[in-house]
Amino acid sequence: MDKIARIDLGAEGGPKISFEEVGEYTGLGGRALTSLFVAKEVNPLAHPLGAENKLVFAPGMLSGTTGSMTGRLSVGCKSPLTGTIKESNAGGQAAQVLARIGYAAIVLEGKPAGDDLYKIIVNKDGITIEKDNSLKLMDNYPLVAKLRGQYGDKVAYITIGSAGERQLLAASIACTDPELRPTRHCGRGGVGAVMGSKRVKAIILDDAGMKMRAPKDPEKFRDANRKFVEGLRKHPVTGEGLPAYGTNVLTNVLNEAGGYPTRNFKGGVFEGGAKLSGEAQAELEIKRGGSATHGCHRGCVIQCSGIFNDKDGNYVTKQPEYETVWSHGGHCGIDNLDTVAKLDYMDDNIGVDTIEMGVTIGVAMDAGLAEFGDSEGAIRLMEEVGKGTPLGRVLGCGAEITGKVFGVEKVPVVKGQALPAYDPRPIQGIGVTYATTTMGADHTAGYAIATNILKVGGDVDPLKTEGQVELSRNLQIATAAIDSTGMCLFIAFAIMDQPETFQALLDMLGSFYGIEMTGDDVVALGKKVLSAERDFNTRAGFTKHHDRLPRFFYTDPIAPHNQVFSVPDEEIDQLFNW
Amino acid sequence: MVALSYSNLKLELASGHLSAFYPLLQQGVRVGCRVGCRLGELLSDQWGISPEYVAQRVTTIFLNSRAIDDVHTALVGPDAVIALSGAMPGLVGATMRRGGYYAAMRGAMTHHEETGTGGCTEAVVRVKLFNLLLGELGPGFLERGILLTGTELFDFFRDQGPEFRRGCRSARLNGLAIDPETLGEDADLARIESIRLTVECRDFI
Repeated sequence: MDKIARIDLGAEGGPKISFEEVGEYTGLGGRALTSLFVAKEVNPLAHPLGAENKLVFAPGMLSGTTGSMTGRLSVGCKSPLTGTIKESNAGGQAAQVLARIGYAAIVLEGKPAGDDLYKIIVNKDGITIEKDNSLKLMDNYPLVAKLRGQYGDKVAYITIGSAGERQLLAASIACTDPELRPTRHCGRGGVGAVMGSKRVKAIILDDAGMKMRAPKDPEKFRDANRKFVEGLRKHPVTGEGLPAYGTNVLTNVLNEAGGYPTRNFKGGVFEGGAKLSGEAQAELEIKRGGSATHGCHRGCVIQCSGIFNDKDGNYVTKQPEYETVWSHGGHCGIDNLDTVAKLDYMDDNIGVDTIEMGVTIGVAMDAGLAEFGDSEGAIRLMEEVGKGTPLGRVLGCGAEITGKVFGVEKVPVVKGQALPAYDPRPIQGIGVTYATTTMGADHTAGYAIATNILKVGGDVDPLKTEGQVELSRNLQIATAAIDSTGMCLFIAFAIMDQPETFQALLDMLGSFYGIEMTGDDVVALGKKVLSAERDFNTRAGFTKHHDRLPRFFYTDPIAPHNQVFSVPDEEIDQLFNW
Repeated sequence: MVALSYSNLKLELASGHLSAFYPLLQQGVRVGCRVGCRLGELLSDQWGISPEYVAQRVTTIFLNSRAIDDVHTALVGPDAVIALSGAMPGLVGATMRRGGYYAAMRGAMTHHEETGTGGCTEAVVRVKLFNLLLGELGPGFLERGILLTGTELFDFFRDQGPEFRRGCRSARLNGLAIDPETLGEDADLARIESIRLTVECRDFI
């Protein structure tokens, strides 16, 4: 990972490729690289779908090594959905392969004048870019199938579906999994629309002839990785719960807690929750000959995914995650896992974010476009998106725009991005993160990342309301750092509860790069990334007044706890003070 | 004082079929017990779940939809709903943990300490088991007995496939042997107001 490739799609005479040293980005990966790059090089006032925006692909710091859980690919740009800076990441094989080929980042910049579509081929010999208009308006599954016919099965594919080509604001970028299915998506923020605006349909990554990246201290790295894997395997969340049920294990618990947003955030308990639960989903998957345990990339030991088959045993989609089951399920009043799985497949195929689309359909149901609980109605609305009809284009631009077009008052978005599957009224702390994150409402922006061990900001008094802001700040700092390593966020639980596993992670990073890493270094990296992102947003015109939840969270109590969101604005405004 | 009267159905089941009851256990089943005591006493003294197991495996507990931090201070009343879960992923999973570092993020939905109101009485509570605890605690609850309405039980048997029915080796309703194959067809079963189902799971050769 010693070079950065720039591909200027708008260059005179056709796309132009150039290479440069990593320079000031040496030792950085993932979100640190994409956000620092975008903050430096993209004009915050640029139109996100214009020539001035740049789309940066960066593997993590340890991607392409033998280290476990190192397969996240970060994609950064100015978001067309939120207008803020954006980093969206996904699993799959792309990060590992890109890192082994030797790139710290690939940057798409400029914008071609015509309507031609391009594909980019990256291998040990360099990068080539070719026009291929035969791929126009293809969706991800048939697109990857066609590309496999030409480039084979020993590569990784990064693609956009028809939604990305149409520059819909909910469009995602798909990465193929080990079985070459386009199931792993950089979903949030409309990054697929930015790729579509550059007219790049596919990036083919071929690491033939390349070796695993070698650590500076191989023995110490091997030892640290072994301890890290042991820690993941012995922890009940990463070693038992996630492999058995996936993230959807949360449905029953959120529903019991009264924090499961139901029918466009009108209630906190869904009567059909048990039918959607991870427990029910895993049983169904196994019964139908699928699987409840599957890794999204090679080297994953948690294996939180699965394979969802139909009643005849035919593949439908990968195991839908908790947020997807919620957005297409309880949020829309739908309690049928087969419907959710079909919608998940459609999201992946068309190339849209499952959270944004599920929330959008719930908003559309509030507008009367379908009834809550109407499975066929939900599928029909998704088909509109796939066909690119005028209605589909509205829906494909997300919840905020759909709410405006159809006059819906209560639209659950922050900075234009749909809220994920946790109601901020009973769980106020997550509401602080939704309101303040640099990315728009995002549950992964302030993840449970070992702030207790890191002691980011010191100890917090949990009995004071200020504690909500303090906790959210600390979590956002720690999460920004982990996102920069390219490690899967689900390592969080093992490193939170087991200091020796956290130390093993630090040792992996340190032995790979030949440096000593401490918890303080992690905190400093997180603060640096967040500060750059916040500064970008400020220059883009965002103020503290954008760090607010939609009004109805402050005025409409939610059953069963009958709470409203009550963290004062003045306290929220202190979040970025460090 | 609640009068607990019900019919009794004893089922002998071949090992490997117990997971058929997991959907029922997730949604919640009624269980007779003495209430007016602390949750920790109910779990350990009445239901025989060791305090060590509770401390290490039952990391998330809800009492009437409120997250519990201390099982020794939470008071269980009649008609209580008790949900037991293993460790959960996600920030919210960490937030819901008993006594977890991020418990402050759940604010007012936390269950707070209550003072006792008198002696124990017989009553019914609803128990829900989630995720890993289904397999670990489910057999014990089924062996001790769960309370269902006749309709719930009839619907349960009706929805089971032939494999499960073959796994039901014997059934006794109020002490009288009945053909387990008929449990999903016997409309009289649906008319019984309340049935205590006990399930004994065995390996048959």
